[in-house]
Amino acid sequence: MASLSSDEWRAICDKFTNAQNLTEVESRNDPENDPFRSKYKARELLREIYCSLKSFEVSEGEEDGGGESAGLRAAKLGAVEYYLGVNHVDTEELSAGQEHLMNCMKLLGRCSVSSENVSLFIHVRNQLGILWAGRDETETAQGFLETAESIYQHYMKEDGSPPTDMTEYFTTEEKLLTHQERTKRFELAYTHTMYYLAQVYKNLGQTERAATYCHSTLQRQLQLNQFNPMEWALNAATLSQYYITKGRYMEGRHCLSAATVISGLAGEVPSEATENERREQLRQKRAEIARCWIKYCLNLLQDAKKLLEDNIGELDTDRQDELKRARRGEEEEEEKGRKSALLFGSEDTFDSIASLEEKVRCLFPLDFTEARAVFLVGQNYVTQAKEYFQMDGYVTDHIEILQDHSALFRALAFFEEDLERRCKMHKRRVDMLEPICTDLNAQYYLMIRRQLMFELAETYSEMMDLKLTLANRQADTQSLDSHTIKKFNHLCSASAKYFQMFLDSLCSPEGKVPEHLEEEVLRPALVARFRVARLHSRLISSSPSVQLDNLNRSLENYKYVVQYCETHPEAATTVETELELSKEMVGLLPLKINRLKARMAANN
Amino acid sequence: MAGASVKVAVRVRPFNSREIGKESKCIIQMSGNTTTILNPKQPKENKSFNFDFSYWSHTTPEDINYASQMQVYKDIGEEMLLHAFEGYNVCIFAYGQTGAGKSYTMMGRQEKDQQGIIPLLCEDLFTKINDSNNDNSMSYSVEVSYMEIYCERVRDLLNPKNKGNLRVREHPLMGPYVEDLSKLAVTSYNDIQDLMDSGNKARTVAATNMNETSSRSHAVFNIIFTQKKHDMETENTSEKVLTKGVGGGDGVFEGANINKSLTTLGKVISALAELNKKKKKVESFIPYRDSVLTWLLRENLGGNSRTAMVAALSPADINYDETLSTLRYADRAKQIRCNAVINEDPNNRLVRELKEEVARLKDLLYAQGLGDIIESECHRGKHNSHSQKMHIYRLTQETEKIIAELNETWEEKLRRTEAIRMEREALLAEMGVAMREDGGTVGVFSPKKTPHLVNLNEDPLMSECLLYYIKDGITKVGRENAKTRQDIVLSGHFIKDEHCTFSSTTGPQGEGCVILEPCEGAETYVNGKRVTSPIVLRSGNRIIMGKSHVFRFNDPEQARLERERTPCAETPVEPVDWAFAQRELLEKQGIDMKQEMEQRLQELEDQYRKEREEASNLLEQQRLVRENFIQTSPLINSPVPWTKRETELALWAFRKWRFYQFTSLRDLLWGNAIFLKEANAISVELKKKVT
Repeated sequence: MASLSSDEWRAICDKFTNAQNLTEVESRNDPENDPFRSKYKARELLREIYCSLKSFEVSEGEEDGGGESAGLRAAKLGAVEYYLGVNHVDTEELSAGQEHLMNCMKLLGRCSVSSENVSLFIHVRNQLGILWAGRDETETAQGFLETAESIYQHYMKEDGSPPTDMTEYFTTEEKLLTHQERTKRFELAYTHTMYYLAQVYKNLGQTERAATYCHSTLQRQLQLNQFNPMEWALNAATLSQYYITKGRYMEGRHCLSAATVISGLAGEVPSEATENERREQLRQKRAEIARCWIKYCLNLLQDAKKLLEDNIGELDTDRQDELKRARRGEEEEEEKGRKSALLFGSEDTFDSIASLEEKVRCLFPLDFTEARAVFLVGQNYVTQAKEYFQMDGYVTDHIEILQDHSALFRALAFFEEDLERRCKMHKRRVDMLEPICTDLNAQYYLMIRRQLMFELAETYSEMMDLKLTLANRQADTQSLDSHTIKKFNHLCSASAKYFQMFLDSLCSPEGKVPEHLEEEVLRPALVARFRVARLHSRLISSSPSVQLDNLNRSLENYKYVVQYCETHPEAATTVETELELSKEMVGLLPLKINRLKARMAANN
Repeated sequence: MAGASVKVAVRVRPFNSREIGKESKCIIQMSGNTTTILNPKQPKENKSFNFDFSYWSHTTPEDINYASQMQVYKDIGEEMLLHAFEGYNVCIFAYGQTGAGKSYTMMGRQEKDQQGIIPLLCEDLFTKINDSNNDNSMSYSVEVSYMEIYCERVRDLLNPKNKGNLRVREHPLMGPYVEDLSKLAVTSYNDIQDLMDSGNKARTVAATNMNETSSRSHAVFNIIFTQKKHDMETENTSEKVLTKGVGGGDGVFEGANINKSLTTLGKVISALAELNKKKKKVESFIPYRDSVLTWLLRENLGGNSRTAMVAALSPADINYDETLSTLRYADRAKQIRCNAVINEDPNNRLVRELKEEVARLKDLLYAQGLGDIIESECHRGKHNSHSQKMHIYRLTQETEKIIAELNETWEEKLRRTEAIRMEREALLAEMGVAMREDGGTVGVFSPKKTPHLVNLNEDPLMSECLLYYIKDGITKVGRENAKTRQDIVLSGHFIKDEHCTFSSTTGPQGEGCVILEPCEGAETYVNGKRVTSPIVLRSGNRIIMGKSHVFRFNDPEQARLERERTPCAETPVEPVDWAFAQRELLEKQGIDMKQEMEQRLQELEDQYRKEREEASNLLEQQRLVRENFIQTSPLINSPVPWTKRETELALWAFRKWRFYQFTSLRDLLWGNAIFLKEANAISVELKKKVT
């Protein structure tokens, strides 16, 4: 400070400290009717600093060769403009704020990026990004933020030394920051750039890029140790749900493993009742992470199933072989390649995350053994999640978890070649869902019960098919033994019962069938009718009159589908195949019925 | 929308006094079921919305288009009540910005033809019950609960013992419920009214004490209506009536704003995951908890429920933004459906089998008459009906509590209700809230003789529901923990331990006299004016203590005498409510400010004049001195009068003051404060530099 006396300089530094304190600390206590009091005070101080710097520049600027460089002087003036800009934006004077920020840009325009000013280069663009996004000028915002991003990257490549923080422009020498603190502040500014870009991309509809930037934000928070463990873990777990719905299981698994490990850093669940609220919070969030894991396992199994099934939902062995052959080559390479992209972990958590990842694969399971491994991991998380989300108190959550458990079984059953065991898996599903469906209050849990009824009906029907296939395999004769018939009829009528229960739930409280089906139940209701029709015609009976009854009920339900679609033409498109078949059956079943009647008459 | 589960109505109210004061223009038009809003900034930019009902209540009943309380009730209330008897869950809620008229639509006023949906519905409910009492096969019972949701916390408004946050839970049999929320048995509409009234009192006390406005709190009034058929079949109907709306700003209409703070990262990620979930219908779990209110409403959007929403609109151009967002919310509400989706298995196998059967039957058709077809599946066997297992849940504490409640007889329920009522009233009495002759604190009643205070509140529902007697002698007002016992207990930031006292004396002619004396340092205003010394109160005076406790003083005897003396005594044209008191406060403070400022400016001017005189005197003296004693060197250091800057400042202040005198008072209500500040600053500056 050759030209500014040290006293003058000290005064400027004090003003700056004051202004910072007013902006960051005091302003929180400003009264409601004068919300910007402290910020206005800070603004005055900043203006005074600006005037001092400016007058110094005019009077002494050129002749002074020693002292500080012109570049640093510009940066200092730019920093004051920056703080003035932020101050105006904070006090809702956007265009004034913009002007100051642009002044800062102009001043910086004269300088080249260096460790002395790079922080300001980033900060001012972050602020301009927010400003323009607020005006719905997302592309403009994107421009500023992307430039900030590339300035950061360029600087880190070319220089990389801990840059001066803008606050240091106005501190006396003994108060300069440590290198560590400089790095921390600089990196935090860039983390914000990442986070703002994530939002800009989200607003532009580029979800994939947005997700990548959210990922980077999380990654940086972890690396720089600037996070709250539970909050971070939950965010990572949520991000996993984005990835799994995109079919990117490796990233999904990575997020989940990191979530589990980091949530462990939030500490033990306190046992004292005094910390009840915190205790509940921790338990709940860990249970929620477990639920994210369940979805990971479930989607992985279901996607694998979709890849492997033939046109009637059975395992396509040719496809299986093909996929197995293709996988050997790819698996390691691919996993490594993608892994290098975005990885979470600080030094001490890296290994724990990796070892958790090893517990479940992220490639599609291609046979029963592989599927079972995924299933077991999922089931383990089901148990964990249920511990917190108990039936008593969390009915909806608890049942959703059970539905996932059932779905895990369903997906696993697909891979099971032994039909007897496959049938047992479906029986497990029935056992876990049936009691709930029966006991739940029909008034309050109508929607959940409908879902359960439908699923139970389908499961019984599945079991019925399996039993029949098994029986046909074992017995060479065309006749089935009475035990099998009994079993078959039981499963068949149980399935019909639940479809019927579902249909009844659509009726008014007085039991009237609705004339108009709501959009969200339209297809399920018509499908249920169609399937009830089919089930009735499959019931086995030796009594011709019972047969006749069953066939009539079957016809009745086919007719309903056809008639409903006649009176509601818009419904036809949602059930095309079912409608076509129902029409045929409405034409053909009377024939069968008449033949039966004729036979009955003949026998009498 | 036939069959949609939510019925949506909008209703526009008349201008309020504030809007009239601002010479607002009406920006709402209605025609049939369509509501149109005009953008005051771009008059050509209209937006129209269609609703089930659009109620024009901006004018007076003389207007043929005017929608009265009764019409609203007939359209919405009657239908909902019918649904309740049919066994549906019924929910009616109001939505809209503060002061848009939610309370008027839901509750209305006491006068004839002014009652809102809730009182009318309750009356009808009991009429229907009484009418069908002849039918011995049915019996009915009605219970109510009342709660408030504020900042995601649930508070019981009926039971004072239930302090703090209640937990929201779900039970497999009882459905979603608020743990420990008291349900009180009622047998008539009066009971309901009393309970609602006392709930409002509890809410008012809490809200005033916390110095919070009601705009962000939601009150939910629940009527649980049970019909029993005597063949032991029980039908349960719960009817929810929400008197406040779902909080605005639920993020749907957020623009392209960027969240600055990293604490909102979770929101951004959730939104991304949600986007994907909806688009692809893939299963995923997003750890995001619904707000308590949405959660409680959730069951009301399902197929077993009938829900009606009334969106309350302000007609004024100054509220354009809020009103537009209310309309958009209402528009969205039309599409609210339950999102429980049936996930069906692909039935490809079934289709294939059936196709085979169709083919077979067709063959049969061709071969008809060519002999019997062997049915492959025909063999002996019998139906076996699946026996249902009843599962009994592990009896946890919660379940036991619920079962105990279920086993409670009607008489026990009534007794419990009475006990809670007593407790509640004891609590209010302790705070100095007045009792009725029969000891009750509830109901709108006004004493015939004793002078008293009634509370005024921004929310009309909470206004005039607390009443405090001013007894003969001294009535002390202060905080609970004051050194001496306070007769009227208030709390909140700006209430002193001992805040003020009222002393009531009776003169020889029986005429009362109440004197208010503020304690030192305690903020007390009468008719908007800060009082620092004892003041005699007159009936109808507005009293504000601290920042948030607003009252009206009533002296029935004095008022009566006054009326006798001047039969057509001037009464304020507009109601003396909270807004009136606040406006008055502002105005009076404004005028006081003006006076203070005039005084200050006068001082400035005087000083200026004086100093100029002094200066010219001095100059004159100097001249004389110079003239007379030319040889004498100037020993006196002549005091320079004002510098140029000082003179400019003073002139500026003077001009401001002149200008100020020519503008209307209204425009300056707010401006005053700034001028005063400036004037102060100038005087400080002048003083510093001149002396």
